[in-house]
Amino acid sequence: MFFLSAVSDGKLTSLTSFFSLEFFIVFLPVCLIGYAVTPAKWKKYFLLVISYVFYWLISGKLLLYLAGITGAVYGFSLWIDRIQQKQKAALKDLKKEEKKQAKQVYIKKQRRVILFAVIADIGLLLVLKYSAFFLGNINALLAFAKLSFRFSIPDFLMPLGISFFTLQALSYVVDVYHGLTKADRNFLRLALFIGFFPQIVEGPICRYNQTAEKLWSVKQIEYKNLTLGLQRFLYGMMKKMVIADRMDPFVESVFSKYDTYQGGIIALAAVCYTAQLYADFSGSMDAVIGIAQVFGVEMPENFERPFFSRTISEFWQRWHITLGAWFRDYIFYPVTTADKMKKLTSSARKKIGNHYGPLLAGSVALFCVWICNGLWHGSAWNYIFFGMYHFVLILIGSLISPLVKKTNQKLHINSDSLPYRLFQTVRTVFLVIIGELFFRAEGLRNGFAMCRAIVTDLKFDSFDRDLLLRSQLGYKDFVLTAAVIGIVFVVSLINEKGIRIRETIAKKNIVVRWAFWYALIMFIIIFGAYGIGYAPVDPLYAQF
Amino acid sequence: MEELIEILEDIQPDIDYENCEDLIDGHHLDSLSILSLVAELEDAFDITIPAIEIIPANFNSAKSMMKMIERLQEEG
Repeated sequence: MFFLSAVSDGKLTSLTSFFSLEFFIVFLPVCLIGYAVTPAKWKKYFLLVISYVFYWLISGKLLLYLAGITGAVYGFSLWIDRIQQKQKAALKDLKKEEKKQAKQVYIKKQRRVILFAVIADIGLLLVLKYSAFFLGNINALLAFAKLSFRFSIPDFLMPLGISFFTLQALSYVVDVYHGLTKADRNFLRLALFIGFFPQIVEGPICRYNQTAEKLWSVKQIEYKNLTLGLQRFLYGMMKKMVIADRMDPFVESVFSKYDTYQGGIIALAAVCYTAQLYADFSGSMDAVIGIAQVFGVEMPENFERPFFSRTISEFWQRWHITLGAWFRDYIFYPVTTADKMKKLTSSARKKIGNHYGPLLAGSVALFCVWICNGLWHGSAWNYIFFGMYHFVLILIGSLISPLVKKTNQKLHINSDSLPYRLFQTVRTVFLVIIGELFFRAEGLRNGFAMCRAIVTDLKFDSFDRDLLLRSQLGYKDFVLTAAVIGIVFVVSLINEKGIRIRETIAKKNIVVRWAFWYALIMFIIIFGAYGIGYAPVDPLYAQF
Repeated sequence: MEELIEILEDIQPDIDYENCEDLIDGHHLDSLSILSLVAELEDAFDITIPAIEIIPANFNSAKSMMKMIERLQEEG
């Protein structure tokens, strides 16, 4: 795995996890104390320095990639800005029709710069992340055609978090081109926006307008932000250490040797992996958002209780929200609003109606989004399948929705009733778990074989032997994990009703407040999966 | 405004477009309706709606849509 190569190139590998002792006992306190004692006007520079130190500690010399991408987008945005300034001056005294023509010339120039920026930014990502995959597949085709020529497969070191900060950096240049934000002449402010240490490994993928200015105007740590931020961090720690890391030995054992397990155990592993992935990624996001809150910076949310979704489409509006929003704004709408697509929508709507008309252009754009989504997660066929699986599900959902609506009306089914909503939610979770099985499987072939085993061999009678002995987990591990998942579910349910638990607890008296948070700390210390028998588990999304 | 309401009713009937202020946030219009709407508005008002204009603030009400249309007409 490239991720492991990159990490081994660094100095303090455990720092990649926010919940490692190195991070939250050493790095974070040093960082907070250093920040607190730094004079107000220097705090932003301190954050920038500590962010680059953090990245150097986890990635060593690969830090140059981060600096290089920041430098590139800085240059491209200023180049676009210069063209926009010239455009403004040139168009000043022209009449409306002349303006339209002259504007096109400048837009063409800007588009050329954007093209260079995309080639530089995405090109680097393509070379580092995908060249081995593409060349490997070309070699397989050459072998199939019985040709002796082979490409040598490169083995690049992969900078940690490159898939996240590449998209964030590119969104900034595109936003400058669209006039949504002004080109930043302050290189250091841009560097902090792209390299802010909590978000660099796993996101969220922020827009320049969302966080750049907030990060650059940070002030002294406030008590309220400190406590609320650390509480959010603690909640994420519980998800990661009690649920995700505890499930890891079992999930790893089943997915790596699936052919020695019964179908029932494989199905259980798929469910556990889905819970693990959610607890791991959303737990890390709690940590990121919590740490940022300590500095007084509000980060965008990346999860909004995805397992309450009624459709797959809704699920993806609640899971990894910032990635979905990136694809929506920079792929889906640009594709659907291309001239040819708009003409297609307009004419198709007149022929096949309001629903199916726009679906033609929409499905082309959706295909682009999901192929990119699959590839973004990794350079392997199972990730491409994962993307296509969701594309097909969303497309089917759109195709049959008028039919479902009519059927419900005929059968007098209330689609807002609790049983119907529950049915939709359970169905969505089931489909998500199948998708995650392919996502985690070690190769597409293994994914299909695991599905086959679930269908043809859905037995649990080897539960004791397989599960308890081979993955070294006991019944109590499963009961405990299920109980904590129950806690997360109840918290999510309360949040879904619009009640903010941390704020509610903050209003209680000091004894209740501290008793609650001490209890949570003790809970993590007693029930967290660490120490003998547990290898530290790297954040799952960091490898993407 | 009347022309805009007519287009909206043609795409998605049974909504009180005069008063509704959360067409996007309240999920009254889905992404497919927006695609139809963009194409129809461009034809009807001789404007070009770029992807960056497709944000809830511009499509949450008939009034906000009208504002966007007038701005885009002004900008040419």
